[in-house]
Formats: sequence, C-alpha cells, structure tokens
Amino acid sequence: MTTMPAPPTGGHVSRLSRLALPLAVARLGFQRQFAYPQAALWGLITNSFFGLLRVAVLLALFGTRPQVAGYTPQDAITYTGLTQAFIMAFSLFGWFDFMRVVHRGEVTADLLRPASLLGFWAAQDAGRALGQLVLRGLPMLLIFQMVWGLNWPPGPLAWAQVTLSVLLAWACGFLFRFLVNCAAFWSPDAVGFGRFAWAVLGLGCGFLMPLAFFPDGVRAVLAWTPFPAMLNTTVELWVGVTTGPAAWAALGTQLAWTVALLLACRVTLRAGLRRLEVAGG
Amino acid sequence: MADLRHHLTLYVRLLGAQIRSQGAHRTSFILDALGSLLITAAEFAALALVLPRFGGLGGWTLGEICLLYGLAELAFVLMDILFGGFDAPNLSAHVRSGSFSTFLLRPAPLTLQVFASDFALRRLPRVLLAAAIAAYGLTHAPLAAGLETAALLTAAVLGMICFFGGLFVIGGTLTFWTVDSVEAMNVLTYGGRTLISYPMDIYSAWLRRTFTYLIPAAFLSYLPALHLLGRPLPDGLPGWAALIGPLAGPLVLAAAFAFWRVGVRHYQGTGT
Repeated sequence: MTTMPAPPTGGHVSRLSRLALPLAVARLGFQRQFAYPQAALWGLITNSFFGLLRVAVLLALFGTRPQVAGYTPQDAITYTGLTQAFIMAFSLFGWFDFMRVVHRGEVTADLLRPASLLGFWAAQDAGRALGQLVLRGLPMLLIFQMVWGLNWPPGPLAWAQVTLSVLLAWACGFLFRFLVNCAAFWSPDAVGFGRFAWAVLGLGCGFLMPLAFFPDGVRAVLAWTPFPAMLNTTVELWVGVTTGPAAWAALGTQLAWTVALLLACRVTLRAGLRRLEVAGG
Repeated sequence: MADLRHHLTLYVRLLGAQIRSQGAHRTSFILDALGSLLITAAEFAALALVLPRFGGLGGWTLGEICLLYGLAELAFVLMDILFGGFDAPNLSAHVRSGSFSTFLLRPAPLTLQVFASDFALRRLPRVLLAAAIAAYGLTHAPLAAGLETAALLTAAVLGMICFFGGLFVIGGTLTFWTVDSVEAMNVLTYGGRTLISYPMDIYSAWLRRTFTYLIPAAFLSYLPALHLLGRPLPDGLPGWAALIGPLAGPLVLAAAFAFWRVGVRHYQGTGT
C-alpha cells in the first residue's frame, strides 16, 4: 500500500468531523444486528434453555449452603443471567471477522479509509456489541428477572462502576479478539489458532464457572492473565462480591489490561501489515 | 448380502477420500483438533475444578458425574463423526449450493453419500478425552463389575448414538423445507447432550419429566446409570424401565429415517 488519501480538509479537521466517521461506522454496525430478527429469537430461546440448565447445576452445587466464596444462590443465578446476556455482545464463542478480511485480501479496502484500521474495527465492533446487547442481552436479563429474579447493583456508585466495567470488559475483549485475529497475517491456519484461543477465553474469563469457585492456585494463575478483565470483573462488581477500594482496584486492572492489549494490537498490526501481500485479481 | 457388502466398501472408500483430503493440511488439522478438544476440556475442567469446594453435585460424587458426563460426551462425539453429514448446517449448505442435487445423480445410494459427506477426523482427540472421563467414572463410581454392567453401558452408548443421530437426521431433513427454524433443533441436540451430562434429579420436576416422557432422553443413560448405581428410579418407575432405555434410541432413529424418506421425495432442488 503506497497511496494514502489526503485528509478531507487539509490539516483543519475539526474534532467533530474526526468523530463523525467512527460514529457512522458504529451506527451501521449497530443497525446490521437487526437484519435477522428470527435468528435472534432462536438464539434467545437456545440461550435461555442453556441458562436454565446452568442455573440447575449451580443451585445443585450450592445445595443447602447459604453462601460460597461470596456468592449466594441468588448471586449465582444473577451470574448466569449476566454471562448468558453478554455471550453475543462480548463474542464469547469466538469472532473471526477480521481474520476473514485479511485472508481474503479485503483488508486493503479498509486501509484506503481515512481512519486508523484498529479504530475503524473498534467502532464497528462497538456498534455490533451495543446492538447485540439491546437485541439479545436485555431480553435475556428480562427473562431471568421474570423467572428467577436477579440481584441488581445497589446504588448509583455501583451502577457507575458496573457501567464502566462493562465498557472496559468490551474494550479488553475486543482487543484480545483482534490480536488473535492478527494471526491471519502470518498463517493461513489462523482459524484453528482462534478456536484454541476462544476455548481458553471461555474458561479464563469466568464464563463457564465463576472464577471465585476455582481453587486458589488456579485463580492466582488467572490473575496474571487479561481474561478475568473480559467478564468476571464485571460480574463480581454487579453482584457485589467486589466492593469498596477493591472495586476501584479491579477497574484499574481492567484499564491496565486494556492499555497493554491496545499496545500489543498496535505493534502486532504494524508488523502484520508490513508482511501483508495481497494477490491481485 | 452382496449388496450390503458393496455399500460398505463404498462407504469405506468415500471415508478414505475424506481422510486423505483432511490430512493434506497437517498444521491446520492439528490446530483444529486441539481447538475442538480444548472446548470439551475447558467445559469439563470448569466443573471438575469447582467440585472440591462444593463436595459434590446434588448428592453425586465426581466419579458418578464423570460416568454420566463421559458416556454422554463419548456417544455424542462418536455420533457427530458418524452422522455429521446430516447436521443441519452441513446439509443445508449442500442443499443451497446445489451439490445435494449431484448426490442424486450419482449411481450410489443417497443416504450413504450423505453419511460419508462430512467425516470430521479432527473430532478423534475428543473421543479419547470423552473415553478418559468415562473411564474415570467407571473406576470411581460404585459399579458392580460384570457382564450386565458392561452390556447395559454399551447398550446405553449405542442407544445415545442412535438417539442423537436421529435428531441430526430430523434436523437435516427439515432443511429441505426451511433453513430458518432449524436452529430450534440445536436445543434438542446440543442442549439435550448437556442436559443428560448431569444427574437429572437436579432439574425441576417439569423439565425432568419433559425429557423423560415427552422426549425420552432420560432413558438413554440416566435411568441405566441409576440402576447400575443401585439408586431408585424417579416417579416410582419399575426397575425394568432402566433396561428398556437403550431401545429408545433405535426407535427415534427409525422414525427419523422414515421422515428422511418423505423429505427426499419432497426435495425439488433450489435451481442452482
């Protein structure tokens, strides 16, 4: 790639117009989620059924215990509702969109845009995530609220922390997914590598079980990985397992991982683009 | 008899071609195999990691749960290898692309070709993992070693292969009419597998009864396992109910193939 288009208004790009493109991209990403309402409905039914089974397993584990590792049975139900609600928004089962674009060579079209490649994809994924949260996440929470009842964050401060944590969990998760997708620059077999990564993510982020239930050794190892920042932290803030100063520390950890993954993405992307060879045709 | 032998040779030939093509990209194959293995491993590890803290699951020990979990996973993966061609996403791709129409033109039985059309060798490591979990269950659950135990467990696995294979065939047949509502079958196939991986007394009565009397999933391995562990059957079912369980699978499979024949007669192609 040698040609880069000139900025639209020669040096005097106002802050507003610099935001206009990502916002438009995000809006399109949001709207695209509503194209197949029937698929969304079936997805919701499937997720509800699995939610039902997961609640049964967790309640059976609790038995008559009122509390385990800071979770009450009601917290465990809330945990299940939240994780089922976030599956699609956080793409917890995997995401290969950028990989596909690199493998097909369509990434060149992305490079022609007057925006950073990472920023463009982040905006698109933010829109997609918000669309899925509205379309699949909120109905899921509503179903859980009606069937079992959920625990909700207790006050404005907790709500603010949870909201911040959801944003950071999405950012952290997106950057991790993007980084894994960058493997496509180096290998035509990146899909297999991706499947591997998503399996680790499922266990490490606390989707399969609350991390608080794991043995101390396993939790200590996971604390050194970015995975808890992609889901578990948000859940623990929501149900109130993490409160007070620990809540701010947890948010700080999420932020630190977001920054670290952002740097990793930028370095990897630059190296990947230098390797990129696009076949003509 | 000669016909059957001919078909079997043909099936083995078709599988051989599939296996050769999947071996062509070695790294890709190994990564895919490891990835699919890791999904099962992570799911099982999550359960095994939390059990020590809770001591058990509704009165079931890790060994007893491994028996249910391992048998269900083993049967499901084997079924997936065998019946993968009928899985709705696969078959609907063939229907939409028109390659299903070419199956009809070839001088070989249609069903046989579908059977051999998606033999995913990458699932083999998962078979080993499932077998290992089941083996742990067999050695750590209080089972009486003997011919009856071995026979009932084998029958349960074969019954589950037939049951879930039947669901795949029904889901695949539905793609002749519609591609949208096929996702509903996932609740029964993948959902059903997950459902019977755990002792079914942990579910609410209506859920357990639905999957006992309406959809006979409980008969597949839960009732035989209760019988072998010397536990009473739910709802005051007589002891022999555990033994008729493995018949539920072949019945579902037979019904599924009857439906399949109706579907094939109805099939008109997509014009591609």
